[in-house]
Amino acid sequence: MEILHELWRRLQMLFHSRQLRADLEEEMRLHVDLRTRQKAERGLAPGDARTAALRGFGNQTLLREKSQAAWGWTWLESLLRDTLYGIRGLLRSPGATLVALLSLALGIGANTAIFTLTDAVMFRLLPVKDPNRLFLLGDGRDAGISDEFGRTDLYANPVYRRIQRENHVFSSTAAVFSMTNDVHGFVDGRIEPEPLKIQLVSGTYFATLGVEPLLGRLLADSDDNSEGNHPVAIAGNRWWKRRLASDPAAVGKTIRVGGTVYSIVGVAPPEFFGTTVGVEPDLWVPLSMAQDLPPHWGGYNDNMAESLYVFGRLKPGVTAAEASTNVNLLFQQIFHQLIGSFPDNNPAHRNAAVLGQAHVPLNPLAKGLSHLRAQSSDPLRILSAVVALVLLIACANIANLLLARSTARGREFAVRQALGAARGRLLRQLFTESLVLALAGGALGVAFASFGSRMLLRMISRGPDVLPIDVSLNVRLLWFTLAITMITALLFGTAPAFRATRLELTNSLKGSHGASPGAAKSPLARALVITQVAFSLVLMVGADLFLRSFVNLSRVDSGFDKPENVLLLTTDESSAGYKPDDARLPQLHRQIEERVSALPGIVSGSFSTFTFFREGAWNNPVYLQGFDNDKSVDVKHNIVGKGYFATMGIPILAGRGFGPQDTLTSQRVAIVSQRMAQTLFPSGSPIGRHYGLSPQKTGEFEVIGVARDVKFAGLDEPAQTLDYYSWNQGAQYLGDFEVRFAGDRNSVASEVQKAIHAIDPHLPITRVESLEDRLSSSASGQRTMAQLSTFFALAAAFLSSIGIYGLMSYVVSRRAGEIGIRMALGAERAHVRWLVMRDILILIAAGIAIGIPATLALGRLVANMLYGLQPADPLSLAAATMLLFAIAVLAGFLPARRASRVDPMIALRCE
Amino acid sequence: MNRDEIPPGTLSLLILKTLARYGRLHGFEIADSIQRTSEEVLQVEEGSLYPALQRMLVKGWVTAQWGVTAGNRRARYYQLTSAGRKQLTVELTHFERVMGAIARVIQTA
Repeated sequence: MEILHELWRRLQMLFHSRQLRADLEEEMRLHVDLRTRQKAERGLAPGDARTAALRGFGNQTLLREKSQAAWGWTWLESLLRDTLYGIRGLLRSPGATLVALLSLALGIGANTAIFTLTDAVMFRLLPVKDPNRLFLLGDGRDAGISDEFGRTDLYANPVYRRIQRENHVFSSTAAVFSMTNDVHGFVDGRIEPEPLKIQLVSGTYFATLGVEPLLGRLLADSDDNSEGNHPVAIAGNRWWKRRLASDPAAVGKTIRVGGTVYSIVGVAPPEFFGTTVGVEPDLWVPLSMAQDLPPHWGGYNDNMAESLYVFGRLKPGVTAAEASTNVNLLFQQIFHQLIGSFPDNNPAHRNAAVLGQAHVPLNPLAKGLSHLRAQSSDPLRILSAVVALVLLIACANIANLLLARSTARGREFAVRQALGAARGRLLRQLFTESLVLALAGGALGVAFASFGSRMLLRMISRGPDVLPIDVSLNVRLLWFTLAITMITALLFGTAPAFRATRLELTNSLKGSHGASPGAAKSPLARALVITQVAFSLVLMVGADLFLRSFVNLSRVDSGFDKPENVLLLTTDESSAGYKPDDARLPQLHRQIEERVSALPGIVSGSFSTFTFFREGAWNNPVYLQGFDNDKSVDVKHNIVGKGYFATMGIPILAGRGFGPQDTLTSQRVAIVSQRMAQTLFPSGSPIGRHYGLSPQKTGEFEVIGVARDVKFAGLDEPAQTLDYYSWNQGAQYLGDFEVRFAGDRNSVASEVQKAIHAIDPHLPITRVESLEDRLSSSASGQRTMAQLSTFFALAAAFLSSIGIYGLMSYVVSRRAGEIGIRMALGAERAHVRWLVMRDILILIAAGIAIGIPATLALGRLVANMLYGLQPADPLSLAAATMLLFAIAVLAGFLPARRASRVDPMIALRCE
Repeated sequence: MNRDEIPPGTLSLLILKTLARYGRLHGFEIADSIQRTSEEVLQVEEGSLYPALQRMLVKGWVTAQWGVTAGNRRARYYQLTSAGRKQLTVELTHFERVMGAIARVIQTA
């Protein structure tokens, strides 16, 4: 308590310090006056009386300082004074300060921006109750619907329900569908359908996470206890803000999707985005509606529709290891009972073997699921290292600037130390100045980062929609920035501060500049420049590698002819009210294909289930008669129209394409990719051969043609085993429509959409883009990496050249006298220039000599992110070295020229 | 006249005691009183009174108020607080213990 009282009094003294100082002054004056009068009354002459009184009183300045020290705020005052002094000092050389500030802002800002993203994608905990108690069954990497026996990552709903009922270790469990339903629906009676991203979840989902509603209620188990009769939805907060304008009366509004009308019963809180980082659903709907919600995945009561991620919250006191034991025991029990009931391809004894191998890993769900995390952790790590190097280079620059200044201020410090200033006090002042610079740079950096992280997010988003990831400034980020700012200040401030205060006093006081030969040589400054050059080389080689990887990737032959003349459209038959095996579907597809193909400017048009990139896949093993089933080949299937190959520009290399003779009743036929033909039928013509999708039906498909290999999911993949079936041989959602056109793309796009809507006005059309754009957006990750690494490498080279320029200018100015003497004695200008250039060349050569092995060592870290070249690529190394050399020599040339123009008279007079 | 420096650490004791005796004094009166009471033996470097008073203000042992002197000048008057009185007892005990110890050492010599 007493401490608090004292603090309170001290604070009052701080705020009234001006008044207190005046009081003290008056008090002391009174004291001296009274004493003077007293002495005078005792008979001293007035002048002597005053002198005696003053002498008796003591050193007033010292007493004043001591009195003020008693208030306990001296440190604050000296801090303020140092800060102001520092600011004044910085403003005295505005050019250098500006460069220092900008390079710091760039360095700190880039670090913060990358950290923002890294934090959001890799480190941030889910904004739910006690996320560390949540555990996921399996690794959450695969998504889809599978009927493979004994999967440990995806679960069927009935199996999930048994785990929920029979486990002893979770206080609550929940399931979430491994894919979102990307559908179209009519919101609140509006006439235009809107795209909706719907996430199917178990009724226990929100309760298990411990999320509280913003409005209304969240889902309950009672919404998920019988199939098909719980048309309720929870609105995602972002969607509620965007599409319902944050309507406080949102509860009770309806959304019609397919044939079902859903009522909104609640709105999720603003921080909650679901359980997958980077995927924020617009709506959550109970799993019980899986059959009704397009695209009608169903499987609510099906043991073999393995499609759910299952997670649970540990009971208090239960460890993850105990939970794992219990869950695995349960898993074995459940699947042993199911062995007979899986009528799939595998005989029971093989299923038992599968079960013998099966182990359910329990993974923490604290940070949520993320496919983004897996694919961007390497690039983010590399970029973090890159921006850290850039910041180090910036620090080296500022350290050099301060070193130069501290040498120039040598006399000031020598005088102050001679007058009795403690070294600690001077160090504190210099650190304060560094801190002022760093904090100003940090503040600018935060501004730069808030812009930079948004730009980064847009760059990695790869689509028209920015990923729903929160990259706004938060307390953690500010701490991070503050921490790196402090580290920065220490990095660049320490050496100059110790250098400045460690002086042989007499030398500095005596000397004019150039007196100590060490100052002009300054090995520390040189070491810093060499480091900069080495780091820059690393970054430039890296940039070159990423740039050439990207170029290699964009030159890859996708297999599609003239992709710029192909337009891709995405449609959604399921949301337009068609059932999965709707008999009207073939009719719809045929009418649209025929009508669009007849349009002027259209060469051909076709439906398909897939085109290229980011559309998922339908893949499973295929089987041949007499083939070893354990060596079955996994094939990606595509269901297409007659005109698909002509439209996409995929030549049929052997056999024929699909024709009118391929119907519902004729033999099912398939066209296979070159790679599939070579894999399945290494000898002889594949035409006329048969295979099937299960060992029992090896005659299911007859091969009628071989199509050229094309890329499927990305440009960097090897040739794929693909096959194509005709939509004419079975009703099916297709979802992709593509046309090959001649002429203006925009008018074609709108004509095609009009034609489609003339057939079915309710069929939603989204994502209209050219195949060429799709191809290039598939390489956007590599493009982003190339752009960012090039940007930072150039920034690094630029900063290094400033460093070289600064150091050499300084050296030249310190050596002006020497150069003046040389020239007075007849040295040629060229000779003087060479004198300086030689210095620079040594620095650059040393930097490069260190940089090359460093580059080779670090190159291995990026090896798996490169395409079509090796990290130890001699061309990259040579190109980067040459470029860096050129930049550095240019930076050094200016001071060298200035040196050669030194006027000996002026230089010598200065001495 | 023989003038002795006051023993280190005793200045605040002297100030506290003086204030306890006279109640309300300004700085000059405190210094003057110490000198007179010690019959001019103890010579305070008068100014050092003021840092000491500031410290005591911070500690809350004394309070200060502006008033008017007999000569009609503004002066800051100091007064003990209850904390100050307590501190006086503490310092007196300490002083007596030390002095007693010193005295014993000297007498046995």
